Amino acid sequence: MKSFLSLLFAFLCAGKILAADFASNFSAANELYAKGDFAAAAAGYDKILQSGRVSPALLFNYGNAEFKSGNLGKAIAAFRQAELLAPRDSEIRANLGFVRNQVQGPLLQESRWRAALGQLTLNQWTFLAAIALWLTFLSLAAAQFRPALAPKLRSATVFLAVLAILFGAATGFQAVGHFSQQTAVVISDNATARSGPFDDAQNVFAVHDGAELPVLDQYGVWVQVADGPGRTGWLSIRQVELLSGA
Amino acid sequence: MMVLVARAASFTASLDRDSISLGETATLSLSFEGAQPKNVPTPGVPGLQIANSGTSQNVSFINGAMSSTVTVTYSVTPERTGKFVIPAMTADVNGQRITSQPIELTVLQAHAPPAAALNSGSEIAFMKLILPRRKVYSGETLAAELQIFLRDDVQNFGNFQMNSTPADGFVIGKSAEGARFRTQLGSRVYTVIPLSLALTVTRAGDLSLGPFTADIVVVLPSQNQGGDPFFAQFFNQGEQKQLTLATEQVSTHSLPLPDQNVPANFNGAIGDFTMTVTAGPTDVTVGDPVTVHVQIAGRGSLDSIKLPDQSGWNNFKIIPPTSKSDLSDALGLEGTKTFDEIVMPESASIHALPAFSFSFFNPDDGRYHTLTQPSEQLTVHAGGTAPMPTMIAAAKNSAPENQTPQDILPIKENLGTLAQISSPFVARPVFLAVQTAPVLAFLAALVWRKRTDSVANNPRLRRRRAVAHLVQIGIGDLRTFAAENNSELFFTTLFRLLQEQLGERLDCPASSITEAATEDLAARGAPESLLNDLRELFQLCNQARYAPVRDPAELNSAAAKFEKLIAELQALKI
Repeated sequence: MKSFLSLLFAFLCAGKILAADFASNFSAANELYAKGDFAAAAAGYDKILQSGRVSPALLFNYGNAEFKSGNLGKAIAAFRQAELLAPRDSEIRANLGFVRNQVQGPLLQESRWRAALGQLTLNQWTFLAAIALWLTFLSLAAAQFRPALAPKLRSATVFLAVLAILFGAATGFQAVGHFSQQTAVVISDNATARSGPFDDAQNVFAVHDGAELPVLDQYGVWVQVADGPGRTGWLSIRQVELLSGA
Repeated sequence: MMVLVARAASFTASLDRDSISLGETATLSLSFEGAQPKNVPTPGVPGLQIANSGTSQNVSFINGAMSSTVTVTYSVTPERTGKFVIPAMTADVNGQRITSQPIELTVLQAHAPPAAALNSGSEIAFMKLILPRRKVYSGETLAAELQIFLRDDVQNFGNFQMNSTPADGFVIGKSAEGARFRTQLGSRVYTVIPLSLALTVTRAGDLSLGPFTADIVVVLPSQNQGGDPFFAQFFNQGEQKQLTLATEQVSTHSLPLPDQNVPANFNGAIGDFTMTVTAGPTDVTVGDPVTVHVQIAGRGSLDSIKLPDQSGWNNFKIIPPTSKSDLSDALGLEGTKTFDEIVMPESASIHALPAFSFSFFNPDDGRYHTLTQPSEQLTVHAGGTAPMPTMIAAAKNSAPENQTPQDILPIKENLGTLAQISSPFVARPVFLAVQTAPVLAFLAALVWRKRTDSVANNPRLRRRRAVAHLVQIGIGDLRTFAAENNSELFFTTLFRLLQEQLGERLDCPASSITEAATEDLAARGAPESLLNDLRELFQLCNQARYAPVRDPAELNSAAAKFEKLIAELQALKI
């Protein structure tokens, strides 16, 4: 028991020390940013990200530093990831929109439905659907245990069931986007899409840093992307950053 | 009465015309008379595209004799001029092998009618191709005009289709129809339909355009309707006529762009342009973006204009510009092209945005021109020493999405809560498993409710359960009384339990149960062994009333027998 408590204490202390390290690294990167050393600031933020921990603020600042370093694609990728964590953060959306406007080529068009559903994260939609589902079935169960309550619960149960269906559909829509669709954000200055997943394949079209292209297929270190209707090509995975969702 | 007359089969091949112009299509007909052909030969002639266009059958009765003709038609489109021979073909008709005659087809070069015919007004319709200038430059984009003339007696026209548009040294771009007008040629008035074409010169040297050929269907007044001319003008439906139109070939000479006095930043823009340049914000920190807004307006190929590389911008990081074209004519040769270029000063020592220049070649005067925007003052603060541009703070406090920002919003000071990157809840099996809990709870409640309702609505079942419960308790009591050697209470309890159990089984009041109930049980098919045990227990109870003293072993034996009997009774299907 004593050894377990010691282990727990050591674990908690290590966690606190780690968190303090991240906070000091974050502050150091912020100072570099303020001094105009954007590349170093980006490296500082990236170091924290490499630990596998993220926060909307960290990704936001990383996106800013990459943008100031002239890396539009990396900035867009960072802002999009930040937006996934905090979809209603107006500052993230503003900076993402600003950087997208600097990108050469066609703009990414987001449908109204997707924009509306994007107001909540996939986890938030999932929780809403789960809560509505629980309440619906608990209400149904209560009506079985206390039949006298059934008439009073009927309206609430129908309402909760409708909510559960709506939230479930939203969750499903978001989940399909998250798991079955990918976007390639070009992070190379001038990337050339090829007709096949080979270095010596014919050039098909060029894309610019920051272009966001839906991924159609993946083969080894190549991803097939679409650039407008009917135009597809293969990009090396080194030239893009892959993000979940469309 | 119909008479079927056996006639000799025949096979003939014919063309609707023996001479056509390049671009026109002739019709080849293979007719089989007398019977269905077993095989239809497919003609093939190099230089002619021959495609099946349908099959028809004609059956006729004349004086009771029936005759049948099958006709297979092909469209014949020549690929070049010359004389072609469609060779003899053999078909198997009604068991006979019949060979057709070879047919000749002459394909002539399409040509415009002679000038005398045009000016006399004798042509129903014709086309003219007009180039604006005889002197053009390689790379230049200019507008040519194709004019379609329709004589005043053409009531209507349609199905206009260009057949060939040969252009040696030109690339034909967009086209647009202009405003129609009327003109008099000879004694006739023609309606002119102008069609503008954007042409880009692809090389220097002698170039040619045309002859363009096109098909058109016109509707002319019918010549065979007769009657009153007054009514004819209202009711004459006219007759359709397909015409093939051709222009003259137009030749010109293209000059290369001059080698002398080529501006350093000339990057191929040809036309006549003006330029406007604005930039902002002009008070920034190192690394902050400044948007340089370049607007180029004028005439020329605006789509192909690119911003030239600028010398003197070495201390700036330049993000490739975005562009937008606003074209004011249908051919895309006039309008405005706007570039937005983001530049970022990399040093606080910069005090001005360098001059911006754009060069083009004007084919009208044959000279290069350079437009220059003078340098503009720029204040650059060192990083970290100056506050962010004012619009940032304003944007942060007032709905940033509703404004047109000039820069990204500043970084966040607080790290916030760090979270481990993990898969969404919807993909975690444990989370999904937990979601089945309310469903299971509901199902359990549903089953409980069904059972409760079932018991409430079934008195026999309710009684069976109550008796089973009573017997369960009673067996315990019997064991206690046996251990205490309390014979009186033992047999009283035993008798009562027998009454309860038999009453439940026979669906009658317990108090009415006596040993006679065994007869009822026998009548309902109870096994004899069970009845014997039952009688024995009843007799024991009766004897106990008169000779109550018993030893515990005997009581325990009776209790065990009762237990066995109860189990059999409860299992008995009545």
